[in-house]
Amino acid sequence: MRSPFAYTPRNRPLQAASPGAAVAYLGALLVVVFLYSSPLVLLAAGVAAVLAGLLAGARRAVRVSLRMGLGLALLIVVVNALVVNRGETVLARLGEWPLLGQVDVTLESVVAGAVIGLRALVALVAFAVYSACVDPDRVLRALRPLAGRSALTATLVSRLVPVAAADAARLHDAAALRGPGAAAVGKAALARRLLAGSLDRSVDVAATLELRGYSLEAPRARQQRRRSRYDRRFYLVGAAVLLAAIVGKVAGADEFQSYPTIEVGLAAPTLAVAALVAASGLAPLRRRSRHRARPAAKRSGQRRAPALEAGGV
Amino acid sequence: MSELAIRRGAAPALAVERLTYGYPQAAVPALNDVSLTLAPGEFALLAGRSASGKSTLLKAACGLVPHFHGGEVEGAVAVAGLAALLVGPGELAAAVGYVAQDPETQVVSTTVAAELELPLELRGDGPADRARAVEEVALALAIPHLLGRAVDTLSGGELQRVALAAALVTRPRLVLLDEPTSQLDPVAGDELIWLLRRLNEEWGVAVLLAEHRLERCLAAADRVVAMAAGRIGFDGSPAEFLGWAQAADPALETPAARLFSLAGLEPLPVGVRAARRALDAAGLGAASGVEDVGGAVPITPVPHPGKAAAAEIHPPAENIFSARGLWVELERDEEMVDVLRGIDLAVARGERVALMGRNGAGKSTLLRAAAGLLDPAAGKVETAAGIALLTQSPGDYLVRERVADELPGPTGAAALAAVGLEHAADADPRDLSGGERQRLALAIALAGRFDGERLPGLVALDEPTRGMDRGRKDDLVGLICRLVGGGAGVLVATHDVEFAAAFASRVVLLGDGVVIADGPAAEVLSGGWYFATEVARVLDLPGVVTPEQGAAALLDRGRPFPPHTEERTTTRGEAGR
Repeated sequence: MRSPFAYTPRNRPLQAASPGAAVAYLGALLVVVFLYSSPLVLLAAGVAAVLAGLLAGARRAVRVSLRMGLGLALLIVVVNALVVNRGETVLARLGEWPLLGQVDVTLESVVAGAVIGLRALVALVAFAVYSACVDPDRVLRALRPLAGRSALTATLVSRLVPVAAADAARLHDAAALRGPGAAAVGKAALARRLLAGSLDRSVDVAATLELRGYSLEAPRARQQRRRSRYDRRFYLVGAAVLLAAIVGKVAGADEFQSYPTIEVGLAAPTLAVAALVAASGLAPLRRRSRHRARPAAKRSGQRRAPALEAGGV
Repeated sequence: MSELAIRRGAAPALAVERLTYGYPQAAVPALNDVSLTLAPGEFALLAGRSASGKSTLLKAACGLVPHFHGGEVEGAVAVAGLAALLVGPGELAAAVGYVAQDPETQVVSTTVAAELELPLELRGDGPADRARAVEEVALALAIPHLLGRAVDTLSGGELQRVALAAALVTRPRLVLLDEPTSQLDPVAGDELIWLLRRLNEEWGVAVLLAEHRLERCLAAADRVVAMAAGRIGFDGSPAEFLGWAQAADPALETPAARLFSLAGLEPLPVGVRAARRALDAAGLGAASGVEDVGGAVPITPVPHPGKAAAAEIHPPAENIFSARGLWVELERDEEMVDVLRGIDLAVARGERVALMGRNGAGKSTLLRAAAGLLDPAAGKVETAAGIALLTQSPGDYLVRERVADELPGPTGAAALAAVGLEHAADADPRDLSGGERQRLALAIALAGRFDGERLPGLVALDEPTRGMDRGRKDDLVGLICRLVGGGAGVLVATHDVEFAAAFASRVVLLGDGVVIADGPAAEVLSGGWYFATEVARVLDLPGVVTPEQGAAALLDRGRPFPPHTEERTTTRGEAGR
């Protein structure tokens, strides 16, 4: 089975965009995530990342990353609540714990953990969307003239990861198929076997790269970037989000305090930044061509709804 | 040499002169004093048993030997005038394309289009040149619909085509292929060979093709080079090769040639068409009155999925495996797809069943469902006395460094004895031959499933003959017969129709997740175009699938011929051992 985060080619704007444009767009969301602590802005960034993923067709990547991120966020909340004793609103006094000492669970430490967890969750979703929607080959090729050896290593790794995953699945099946009289196979033995097999595989992949001429020094002058008509859109949205985030930060849009008591700012700058960041999730929206719809409507012999005829889609 | 000179064909496509090569730390050289010249536009077939040096010669021709693998080398190799022992594989890439056996490690990009574009980009071609070359090679190999696909969503056959396209996209003068059809079904395998022939004729690409299934490609070749123990044993035309193989190494004979030699006919035919013409000329052709010698063995009616009871196929008391209304769905491209659709099938004790069908028909899925690796979406699978499944990669079963550590105690010893490996208990599995490693993996799957001397359950093998020469296949037929003699039933998923004819008493043909034919092997394997043996295609006689049967039919015109019985197959298997 394919990894939910594996790149899948689709005829969508985010996939069609050049790696630079896609990285600029998704990177701007990440900057917001790491720049802001306001739950509202973080939530808006999360909405944007989810929207971007869904509009790009990476539904499974979004779903799985949300599930993983929620688990991670919950873990962070629990650990933060147990480790941090700051805050004035005590929810539970859990007494003396080994290593941790006196453990008091406060509302503030729970909320602070939730904010950190939310940040991790949104970052995970953004990475998942990047992984599922941005062609790693194009990223590596863009990097190759800048860092040839790193690009080669990254190419080998990017190919070996799915190969190793397939090998691991096969080894697991073979272990399950051993007869009851054969020696049992532990995880360590399987891991050793997988590692040995991966080394063989990497030699094969390296041989293929060699045969394709990877060791040749390609003339740079003949390399040319492939552009997309969506590039400008993603660069503009990314720049707008970045600018708004920086201006908003300066203007006090990141008003949030967890200790000693919780204070969440909901002033106009915060609301404006949150609204803009959330709306940026619509950037991968595909604009449908009106020319294609007409013959279909004629063929079916039906009149289209006025709203559609007005180009509302 | 300039690229222009390479394209104009100023030099031989391949010139190997007195090449001797040994892998690092190898006791004996893999190639020994090999000399070979391949003219531009020539199509040569590289024949020989396993470990005879075929793959090493191909690797020397593309520069992987010695540049990538190391080792000691003497002699000279020139590819389109480039000294392959001096320049690396990267420099040779413009002149030579190489396609190895395993397509999975031959792709390094995420999408098909990127994979095809990579060699062009690496040699510095501009975007317009790259786009045109990719489009043309995709059209030539009939894969334009795959260009936008991610490589990890392709089937084995599709992946093999993409690997071939990536090798051809730079328009090399020479293309080297190492058993490219070993993972393909008969349809895809034949298509690939004739595609190579077309590229050879239309583009003038010289082809050097290493294959075990010679019957598949002999007719397409201009020339055959046979290797034995690292040396060239024969170099000549396909027709001459058959005469040489008959005298020097009968394991390399094609079934049609074996049919003719058993029937005392000359000359030995290169392919089905030549055989038919020769028979017609001798008055023995299909139109000449050779009777239907197979007898009236009826093909078992195949019930419609989900409608007929499995009891109609075999009496339940005999069955050691049964699937009733079996549906299995798997995820493909984020969608659930029905891979098996209402399979009703039973295997009785003592049966030898070949499970056939094109790539993606559901053969492996059926075996995996039988072994409990997949849960049915609907229906039921029963293996009353257990199942031992050997998957396509026997190496996956070997995780320890001593055979006896894999199979400890008396149960382990019994399993080793069952596969004839009791002598290898102290060996390192990596030191065993390919055939022995496969038998060891089977012993691991069988261990603990014996009831005294008897083996009561089902033994299932998934594509066990990949990369095997005929000697090793005969050994496997013998092993299957021994297991059946011990009380087991055997179910083998295979693309190899000649192997199926050698071991199977019954053939089940799957198509798109449904059983489309189920009957005696001699009937099923003589009743089609692709899933038919070479002898069946030559003689077109119902029930005649092996060279021995065909020769008897030709010799005894008019006398009824016994159908493909248990005794005949067993005898052949024993002889193979």
